[in-house]
Parts: sequence; C-alpha cells; structure tokens
Amino acid sequence: MPVFRLTVNGASHEIDADAQMPLLWVLRDRLGLFGTRFGCGVGECGACTVLEGEQAVRGCMVTIADAAGHAYTTIEGLSERADHPCQRAWLEEDVAQCGFCQAGMILETAALLRAKPAPTDADIDEALGGHVCRCGTYDRLRRAVKIAASYAKAGKR
Amino acid sequence: MKLGRRRLFEAAAALTIAFELDGCAPTANRALPARPLAAGPPFEPNAYLRVHASGAITLYATRLEMGQGIRTLLPVMLAEELDVDLAQVTIETAIPGPRFSGVRLHTGGSGSSREAFRKLRSAGAAAREMLTGAAAKTWRVDATTCTTERGRVLHPTTGRALGYGELVPLARTMPVPSAPTLKPVAAWTKLGKRQKRVNGHDIVTGKVRYGMDVRVPGMVFAAVMRTPTLGGRVKSVDDAAARAIPGVLGVHRVSAGIHPGVAVVAIDTWTALRARDALKVEWEASPIDGFDSERFLAELPNAFKGTLVEVRHEGDARAQIAAAPRRFEATYVYPFQAHASLETMNCTAHVRNGEVEVWAPTQTDVRSIEMAAKVAHCPKEKVTLHCELMGGGFGRRLYADFVGEAVELSVATKKPVQLVYSRADDMRSGYFQPATAQRFTAGLDARGRITGLVHDATASTLTIDELHEGKDIWHDPPKRGPVDYAADERPWGAFDNPYELASLRLDCADVTSPVPTGPWRAVEYPSTVFARESFLDELAHLAKVDPIAYRLELLPPGIKAIGPYKIDRARLARVLEIARTRSGWNTPLAPREGQVVGRGVAANVYSGNSYVAMVVEVAVAKDLSKLRVERALTVVDCGAALNPLGIEGQTESGIAWGLSATLLGKMNFVNGRPVQSGYGDFRVLRIDAMPRVETVIVENPDGMPAGYGEHPVPLVAPAVANAVYAACGKRVRALPITAEALRRA
Repeated sequence: MPVFRLTVNGASHEIDADAQMPLLWVLRDRLGLFGTRFGCGVGECGACTVLEGEQAVRGCMVTIADAAGHAYTTIEGLSERADHPCQRAWLEEDVAQCGFCQAGMILETAALLRAKPAPTDADIDEALGGHVCRCGTYDRLRRAVKIAASYAKAGKR
Repeated sequence: MKLGRRRLFEAAAALTIAFELDGCAPTANRALPARPLAAGPPFEPNAYLRVHASGAITLYATRLEMGQGIRTLLPVMLAEELDVDLAQVTIETAIPGPRFSGVRLHTGGSGSSREAFRKLRSAGAAAREMLTGAAAKTWRVDATTCTTERGRVLHPTTGRALGYGELVPLARTMPVPSAPTLKPVAAWTKLGKRQKRVNGHDIVTGKVRYGMDVRVPGMVFAAVMRTPTLGGRVKSVDDAAARAIPGVLGVHRVSAGIHPGVAVVAIDTWTALRARDALKVEWEASPIDGFDSERFLAELPNAFKGTLVEVRHEGDARAQIAAAPRRFEATYVYPFQAHASLETMNCTAHVRNGEVEVWAPTQTDVRSIEMAAKVAHCPKEKVTLHCELMGGGFGRRLYADFVGEAVELSVATKKPVQLVYSRADDMRSGYFQPATAQRFTAGLDARGRITGLVHDATASTLTIDELHEGKDIWHDPPKRGPVDYAADERPWGAFDNPYELASLRLDCADVTSPVPTGPWRAVEYPSTVFARESFLDELAHLAKVDPIAYRLELLPPGIKAIGPYKIDRARLARVLEIARTRSGWNTPLAPREGQVVGRGVAANVYSGNSYVAMVVEVAVAKDLSKLRVERALTVVDCGAALNPLGIEGQTESGIAWGLSATLLGKMNFVNGRPVQSGYGDFRVLRIDAMPRVETVIVENPDGMPAGYGEHPVPLVAPAVANAVYAACGKRVRALPITAEALRRA
C-alpha cells in the first residue's frame, strides 16, 4: 500500500494505507485521535469536521490521498487547556449534552470566526447548518458562537 | 476504563462494612476498580461511595450518561450531604455485580434523579455521620458539638479540625447509622444551584470517550449486512469480493440481533464497513414484503371497528354523547419514528475462557448482561459489563441486540471485536416508535363544554421485547393475548388524562405492525398528547373560548387519583397560568408582511409527577410554503429543581427533538423495507430552525424531584399544531406538519 505523509496537530505522520481511506478513519483508527467522530460517513452530520489549514472540512469526505501534504487540526490540537475562544465560550454556555457532535461544531466555528470575526445569525446558520446535534443544543450553540467571537476579538486587542 | 489491573491492586485493600441501603448489598470485599489515589485502605460506608485516605471521594454512579446530565447531578446529591467540594468527587461507573445486587443500572423513563435523590443523599449523610463520629472519638468530645465543612470535621469550640482522609481508618470502625439525618432544603448550598456539566472540559478538548472509542489489545472490527426487508433471511452469500479486500479477516453469519445478517471482520472500522458493502447476499422472500407504512397509517383508524380493550371508564360517556345537543369527532395519526442518535450503535466484546467482557454504550445493564450470557452460553456471573458514555440514547439503547451481535462475533473470532453500525444500519436495523391513531369523540353542551369524552387509541405491543427474546415475529408471530392496558397503566398520556371530564371512556385497540417497535423519547406520550391537546384546542375554538381558559375550566383544584398517580390539578393549572402571563398570550402578535402568525398551547402531566405547559409562536407564509416556529416558552413544575441549568438544557433538547418529529422526520416502510437511511432523508432539526427557547421553572423546593429528560417532548407537536391553526386556520391531524400537509388540510 502507498505511504502518505500528512501533518496532524503539528506532528508529521507517514501512513501506509489504501488511497481511498477517509481521513476520518485515519485519524480514529490509525492515529487514535478519537475526538473526530463518526456520525454518518457521508457528509450529512458534520461530526467529523476538522481544520485543513484554516478551512473546516469533513473528515469522512477527504481521502488520505487528498489529505497528503496538508496540515490538519483536530479537536485535540485546538488547545489542550481549553483556552481557545470557542472552547471557553462552549464551557461558559455549558453547550454540550451528550457531546458527540461538539468537536465538529467547535472546529466549524473556529473556521467561521477566522473568515467572519463578527458573524451574523445568518452566517451562523450557514456555517453550522450542516451539523446535526440530536440533543438539540442549538440555542446555547448560537450564544456560544457569539461569545467566542467576542473572546477572539478581545484576544486580538 | 481499562482497570483490570487496578482491580487486583485494590482487592486486598478494601474493607467490608456491612451497610444496607435501599436494597443495596453490603459492601463486599469484592473491591471495585478504583483509582489508587493514596496508600492505605479506603473507607466505604456503602456501595455508592469510597472515601480515600487522600480525602478524595469516589462516587459509584448507578445511572448512565447519554447527555441528559445525570452524571453531573449525582455528585451534587452526594456532595451536598457529605459536605465536600464537588471537585473532590470523582465518578466511576458502578459495574453491575454483587456489590449492587438489587440495584439496576438501568437508565430510562426519566426516573434517575427521583430515584437517586434519597439514596445518594442518605449515602452521603451516613458517611458524614460516621466521619464525624470518628473525629469526636479522636478528640473525646460529643459528636453533636462537631460540624463538617468542605471535607473536614471541625470542633468549633476548640478550633480543631481533621480532614476526611485522616479519619478514614477510624471511620471504618464506626457503626453505620440506619437513618442518617438529611439536611433541610433551606440548608442546601449545592442542590438547586446551576451546575455545569462535569465532563464539559473533556468534551471541548476531545478527551471524552464514548463506546465507539473503546480500544483493547488484539481487537478486530466488524460491520454487518442485515436484511434490507423486515423478516428477510439469508439465502446465499458470495463473499469473494469482500474477502479480496486487504485487511479482511473473515466473514461470519450473525443472528443475535433484531435481524439476521452477514458480518465482515477486519483490521479496522473502515475496512469492515467497505468490505461489508462488497458482500453479495441473496435474501429469501420475506412474509411481510408487502408491508407499506403509508397504507398502514391510512388503515389504522379501522382498528376502532374491531375489538376494543376497556381501559378507563368514568361515568357513561357514550350515553352522554348520544344525549348531547352537539358532537365532535376527530382522529389524529402519528407515524413511525427513528431515534437516530448521533453515535451509531456499537459494542465491544471479548469472550474467553468461559467469561465475557463487554464494553457497551448502553442504557441497560440488565438486558446487556442477560444478552451477553445467553449468546456466550455462560452464567450471568461470568459477564463483566463496562457501561460506556453514550453519544445519545433516547430509548434506543434500552435493548441489547447490538451487544448480542458483538458477543456472537467474539465467539466466532475468538478475539475482542468491536461491532459498529453505519448510519444506514442504525436507521434501518433498529426499532421504532410505533405509529398510532387516536380518535376522540366529544358530546358538547350548548356552551360547547364537554359532557362526555370517548378516546379510542391504538396501542402496540413493543415487539422489541419479543425480538430480544429471540422470537421471529415475522415467520412465527408470537401469540399475543389481549393486553391489560388498565393494569399496565397505559397508554401513557391517555390512561393518565389529567382533566376533569363529566364522563370519560378510554378504550384501546391492539395494532401490532411487523415493524420492530420499542421505546423512543417519552414513549407513548408524544402520540397521545399530540391528539389530546389538539382535540381540546379544536373544542375550545368550537366553543369560541380561549384555549387556555378552556383547559383551566377542566382543572378544578384537587387531587385526582388515576392508577398509581395522584395528579394535583392545581399544579397543572398553575403552569398554564404562568405560561399565559409569561408568553404574553393575551397580547396579539405583530402582523408581518407575507406571513400569518399565531400562538398555540399544550399541557401535560408526566407520570403523575411533573407538570409542564408550553406556548409556541409560529409564522406561516401566506401561500403556506413555509412554516417557522419562532419561540417556545415552557413552564415546568418538576418538584425540587435540583439543577436549573440541567432543566433548561432538557427543555431545549426536548423542543429540538419534538420539532424534528413535528416538522420533519418520519420513518417509512415500502414493500417491507425501511426507506430512510440517514440525516439526508430522515431530516432532523438543525440550528437554522431552532426557535428562541425560554424555560420558566416553578419554585417548588419541598416537592420530590421529578425526572425531566423526556417531559417537554410531548408538548411540542400539539403546541405547534395549535399555533398553526391560530395562524392560518389549517388543522393538521397527522405528523409531520409540512408545507404539503398544510396545503392539504
């Protein structure tokens, strides 16, 4: 099997795998990064969202062949101390319930805030509308995105 | 959770202290796995907690976490009475076995906080009394002159203090109080306060682990191709293509789950899933391959022409209706629903040397252990079950079909196996909320008030019980005797109709479909309450009476005893009145360009102990092309509100869940095949459709806490249907309320 090189959370990895293996399963089953969740495998739920550079991508829709040469950030790489603006806001609002979808939501929001530091409700709907939270944490989620935006802004000053 | 070695380590250290607590076995010398936080034997006044020599506390949680927040609340109950900081308490999952003999680790029915309320506070209070006694003995003072604070016993008059950890050796020798004194509510400093989720940090940093994240040495992974048609059996298997995929280890038949199937075992999850897709399986024709759910729904009301089981009769409702100057009848239909938790079903099992070890994200210890023992042909005592965190439960994890499949595959492979369902597997191969029809007939007096009410309900055997026992409900349908609904206190929401009615007759028709059915969030309430609260709304409009006022007339103060329940109608009236005020019910909504707007109300009493009213506001496009729920206000009296932040969270969650079923999702079956396969065709609510949510908690601190994980769900559909009627005059009596349903209404 071919060998692919990719960077995850700042560390370089060489992985011997089928070229079609989705990044989601590379992260989970090869690198032990379980924070990237399997919810549907077909791009409909957003639970496996990770950052490719500064873009949010679905781990289930990117093959390892496509991922080769790129640098990814998973929830484990965002901040272990939970001091990223999104993590702080999530804890402040106590957003999570079962928590299974939240890593994907947090990383999607991190990407959103880089592109749009002061997102409108419509921006939030568009960015997070691709994610499913079956516990229905959406009300707190919306508040947390706005709080995260304010933390990010304050952090830049 | 990999604590096998620690178990050995601790076995010599734990000490037996006999302590009977609500059927909980005395703490045996069979030590539980626990972190060796400090040298020296810990103090275990009862099975629920362990005080370590370091002063750290371990709570053995007998309820399982699926997002509802019970793992956040249980330590608060303990810490409140034990007088320790929450940070001192670490949670371990109670592993089913002799230590918790008589205590079920079964999490469903919104009963956890209610059931744990007395047990955990008593456990904490007993330990505190023993620690206080130990300190008093050390100081040779009267125990009543000692106090406790943040993990220490104090003797205020002499200024002495000893930490709980220091007192462990002596506390172990103290007599166990039989009736420890509990704090009065007014003295609570932790219960009743807003407590954030205990694993919030682990969730936002990705450290949290679910069942699917279990890893054990030497494990392999499996995916199963199950019959696409309910009742299908394997005819032949061509596994050449699957076996040709690198990483595939084997192909095995499975039969322990709901459906028979063919499993591929592989070196990782993805290989198992894609090799499973490469299987070519031929299926025998199913005896029910003509089943069509739309036709089933259309024909459901015909059941009322057949045999009806008497459930609740008060007065002669039929005679009252016959004599009434006016009659009104309406039938409401509720479709099949799937759970679709975000974490799909999965289980890890290892069978070796006549023993089974299971790691399962499960709501039920009892059924998981029974299933594992049955499939592995071993005694239940040989099963060790690790209950893992669940990525959602909603009733789907109350049965252990997927545990059985994983154990079966470990038997076949002689390896630890993790079985993972794909999203489509999870959607199609589980069990479903049964579809029902509810027909209401009312006799009305000249003022439009009810003189007699007949409620005919269809109800279903939950066939997952039969399937779980290994029965083939399709080829060899079990003989089902008439269900004694009155004895079962069912259907929920119909049996316990809380209103004062001049006469009431509730009858049930058994309609069991070939669809595997089982509990879904709030079980029977969503369908019965949708119908009942919609019908009351229709009657109010017929009488030209405000829908809240109409309900309040049916709620005279007093206690109504129904079966085991004592329903306090004044509490239901109160939440309705508060909802009226807080929603601005009597202030018209501002008109909009191109839209019509309206408010709707619904109310319910859940299991006789929790009183909820909901008012929603909707906006409907004038051409009926769009419907948006904009605001949902919920007023809840669930007794003592132990964690208001958790109650708000469950309200938000229940509203989102209820709106998915009200506006979007339903499960269809065509030619015996489940149709929907994922979130693309089984749509669930997303952030863009979430309304503004407000929760009002009625102060009732002295009341027994009632559960709340399911309670808001049943109110959503009728409140929305009633608001839609108020907005545009369209009455929708079948879910989901789509634009198409509005145009047809």
